[in-house]
Amino acid sequence: MSRSLKKGPYVDPRLLAKVEKQQNTGAREPLKTWARDCTIVPEFIGITFLVHNGRQFMKLYVTEDMVGHKLGEFSPTRLFRGHSGGKKAAAAGPAK
Amino acid sequence: MPRILGVDIPNDKQTHIALRYLYGIGPTLALRLCEQANIDPHRRAKELSDDDLARLATILDREYAVEGPLRRQIQQNIQRLRDIGCYRGLRHRRGLPVRGQRTRTNARTRKGPRKTVAGKKGVKEMRG
Repeated sequence: MSRSLKKGPYVDPRLLAKVEKQQNTGAREPLKTWARDCTIVPEFIGITFLVHNGRQFMKLYVTEDMVGHKLGEFSPTRLFRGHSGGKKAAAAGPAK
Repeated sequence: MPRILGVDIPNDKQTHIALRYLYGIGPTLALRLCEQANIDPHRRAKELSDDDLARLATILDREYAVEGPLRRQIQQNIQRLRDIGCYRGLRHRRGLPVRGQRTRTNARTRKGPRKTVAGKKGVKEMRG
């Protein structure tokens, strides 16, 4: 079921505060975050995030097309390297 | 046989059924179109006058995406998902189900015909 429109998109308040601070100061370093459930809003465009996937932080540069998606959608939590024994599978595995 | 938007030639069924032979027109839209164009949905498609067909074509052209443009629109939506590298895009790239379905079994529509792996447990039983 999709989220009620009445509530508006969920944006992590602490993360939004960080983004606004960065915009005011003009700082450009990536923002580390665990807030995978945070919706990408237009304010995030042009900012680089480091989104945690449970193991490491995946770099994400936000573009206009990403608005409306959630941060977690861009930081895969599973890594499939192919099945054992396959010669072809090993080559085709980590290619994105 | 009547033609609408070039290639499509619906046959001598009732109009609201015949319209559904166009890509992007289903039961609901077919009926709505008949209403908009002032055509009795139960009249046979072959009885439609050139005027009726022209009216249908203009309405389709103006208000709805069907056939080529619709296909293109769908492809663009998928291409967007692929380009931004989100989870759904990755699933499209891989040819796996996009909406969280299981892939341990089934998922054959997306994955295509089974590729049997020799020596894998269970293969003999399945063949036997």
